[in-house]
Amino acid sequence: MAVQVSPKVQEFVKEVFPAIIGTARKDGSVEQVPVWFEYADGYFWINGGTNRGWFKHLQRDPRITLLLIDPKNMWRWSQVLGRMVDWAEDPGGEHINHLSHRYMGKDYQGPRTGRIKVRIEPLRVSGAVNGSWG
Amino acid sequence: MAAGARRTIDLSPAVLRLAALPILTVIATKRDDESIQLNPIWFELADGYIWVNSNTRRSWPMHLQRDREATLLITDPAEPDRYAQIRGRLAEVIPDPKHEFIDRLARRYTGKLFRELEPGEDRITFKIEPVRVTGQMI
Repeated sequence: MAVQVSPKVQEFVKEVFPAIIGTARKDGSVEQVPVWFEYADGYFWINGGTNRGWFKHLQRDPRITLLLIDPKNMWRWSQVLGRMVDWAEDPGGEHINHLSHRYMGKDYQGPRTGRIKVRIEPLRVSGAVNGSWG
Repeated sequence: MAAGARRTIDLSPAVLRLAALPILTVIATKRDDESIQLNPIWFELADGYIWVNSNTRRSWPMHLQRDREATLLITDPAEPDRYAQIRGRLAEVIPDPKHEFIDRLARRYTGKLFRELEPGEDRITFKIEPVRVTGQMI
């Protein structure tokens, strides 16, 4: 069951920093990489090429954990345990371009073909700002 | 090198520079249900190993001792495209009864000794061997 993301965490994730995502490799180890994300309509959205390791992992095991963390003050963070609900092609790269504007303030400079957007349902949210979200 | 000593993998100068910053690393472990847990923690890279320390009652140290492996991520606060993902193997578990190691880590991050331990708090140090490093701009 998806959970509500608290108003404080919703405010926090409007800030511009990458999410660190953890996905499970076939051998059971965890892959961690930073990716662009946004929170919208109750879901977390990420974008990537279909050749990305994390996307292959998610197709086998849809469980994903996002660490949303302020790189300038790493005591401000929220951890989201989630699940890939579905994914869709990103024809023309509209979604990656949207994310590019969030992060870079300009059009996406990389290739816009062969991309997918992934929808993640939050199942459990925890976190802290200097100890507590209060 | 002493006879029989294992040689750890070489870390690039960029990784060494990044690890020398007073930044946190994110340690990834697995819960009992195999979902993934990500925790930002203090660390030190020294002698080719990654050293971390915890209260024994936290969950990630339990996961780490069960699986004997973890993934650690370090990212450059000044350059978001620069990051290193380090797959690590638990090489040694070292009790820290006099909290000497956590004091050393606290100095690295805060310039001061670690706080007073809470009643019943036990500290433990993990020595993690980097097995493979991947990432960007490293």
